[in-house]
Amino acid sequence: MWIDINAYVGRWPFMQFQYNTCAALLNRMNKFGVDISVISNLNGIFYKNTQSANKELYEELQSLGRNNKRFIPFAVINPTYAGWKNDLKECLEKFGMKGIRLYPKYHDYAITDPSLIELVKMARTLDIPVTFNYRIVDSRQRSWMDIDLVATSAKPEWTLRNIIPIIKAVPDAKYMIVNVCNSLEINPEDEEIFNNANVLMDTSGRSFNTIGIFLQEKANITRLAYGTHSPILDYLTGMLRIESLDSDEASENTKDLLRSGNAKRFLEL
Amino acid sequence: MADSGFNALSRMTVRNGLNKKSVSHNTDMNDECTLFPEKANFDLMSEVMKFRKIDAHVHVYWPDFTKILGWVRGSPETQIFFGKKLRIEKQVISRYLNVMPGSPEQFRKYNNLTIEAMKKYPDNFLGGFVINGAYQKESLEEINRCMDAGMIGTGELYYHVKINDPRYYPIIEKLIDLKMIIHFHAECQLGVGGYRMKYKTTQAPNTSIPEDFVDIAKRYPEGIFQFAHIGMGGDWEYECKMFADYPNIYVETGGSNNSENMIDFAVKHIGEDRIFFGSDGAYFQGIGKILASNLTDRQKQKIFFDNYNNVLKLGGRNVD
Repeated sequence: MWIDINAYVGRWPFMQFQYNTCAALLNRMNKFGVDISVISNLNGIFYKNTQSANKELYEELQSLGRNNKRFIPFAVINPTYAGWKNDLKECLEKFGMKGIRLYPKYHDYAITDPSLIELVKMARTLDIPVTFNYRIVDSRQRSWMDIDLVATSAKPEWTLRNIIPIIKAVPDAKYMIVNVCNSLEINPEDEEIFNNANVLMDTSGRSFNTIGIFLQEKANITRLAYGTHSPILDYLTGMLRIESLDSDEASENTKDLLRSGNAKRFLEL
Repeated sequence: MADSGFNALSRMTVRNGLNKKSVSHNTDMNDECTLFPEKANFDLMSEVMKFRKIDAHVHVYWPDFTKILGWVRGSPETQIFFGKKLRIEKQVISRYLNVMPGSPEQFRKYNNLTIEAMKKYPDNFLGGFVINGAYQKESLEEINRCMDAGMIGTGELYYHVKINDPRYYPIIEKLIDLKMIIHFHAECQLGVGGYRMKYKTTQAPNTSIPEDFVDIAKRYPEGIFQFAHIGMGGDWEYECKMFADYPNIYVETGGSNNSENMIDFAVKHIGEDRIFFGSDGAYFQGIGKILASNLTDRQKQKIFFDNYNNVLKLGGRNVD
């Protein structure tokens, strides 16, 4: 069984995406043998009022009929925007959403913003995950109108160090970190708090090109799950990182955890 | 109360925990809608092993770099490891000359590393040499030395001098006579290399961009130019569109960026015969993005193997 913990629908203003509707994604899932996808709406990155995007996703899923069971929708919430608590309530109660996607860079707030801390504490209480990403698109190929975090510049793309402050602020929440494409290094004083945190990362990011080495640390086996970052990245690379693991890199049991076991446990499916 | 807003949402806790039976998005797959095809039993590794591969863009490194990357196997053993795992029969290796000034002493040293790896794994590696147009005479001499060592063309030439700089003309003419591929590092004016980007991204000013390739391809229509890694340095849509009308420019798919649709877009604009599979060390992305494309198996095989091998054939250097 395969569960993709990092997929999207919706538009990107600077480039046309393929497979960016629920129906197209479902066809992709069927073609490549994926059972369930955690999805959110990219439009929520760009709408000031993110609830419009959440409603769009809900309505699109409704149109799929029973196939909507193949999706686990996450809400895009901006905790610095008016009415977010009501939005979250609607997303959970009416739209059936099961987690939260957060975009501090695009929504222009700091990782230590009090409103973010409040939201993450609320998610902890509700026992739902909050999701951060390193980046949506590769900044080397970004549009001139995109946010100005650029690889190798004085204002670079995020690494794990940029996400650590919120984990320190709310250490017992559930965190998903996706498209891990830059450094996983953190300061030594933060290692204990990160190691004790409930974190699930996905295999879509290039940092897991050395996945076999990553899995040598036993604790890491439960911290990684299949993810595509579709439709931004190709559908198969995140899967290939898992399927190509040799028996001396990962047991079949470990591979099953990566395919779906860790996602099931983390998402309480 | 520790959490502001808790009251407003606490009533939802029981009903919205993902482990609760009342959750509507369950994992029961028994009532599929018939509007969509059945979920396939897709075997990714069978697809990987179906295609022979020549990786047109790989590097070998000294131990200090492999340590930074955490490659416990070192180099070139890491490259060998991935090659065996992913059915890459041949990898075209070089050690790109990312030092200034890129002197003859430096490029000879870098080429020696490649030659050493070739000798160690002759069945797995094809060698590409690096030179620097700023040292024209010594570069021409180095081509001879590297040919004698069995190298097949240039490795990834770097940013010391642009590909269309007149200092490269006699070098390119020699490579044309030898029917060798001219593989050049490249970026894009829409991306890390470019003037439109207002950020100081530490890119060298002499980095070649698509317009430079078009310029040299027009001057030498018999040259065989490999535009490096459309998955790395810039806007791949821009790059593919730029090269649509230049049949002697081949794009190579390497780089760590595995954007969906990159390969389909490249085939649409460049055609299925002018695309080389390359990884630039990003093996998973290099293979994943081709397998995820909508190309036929025949088209995939062309990109993975045949296109590069056909160019090698021109100089009698093909691998089968």
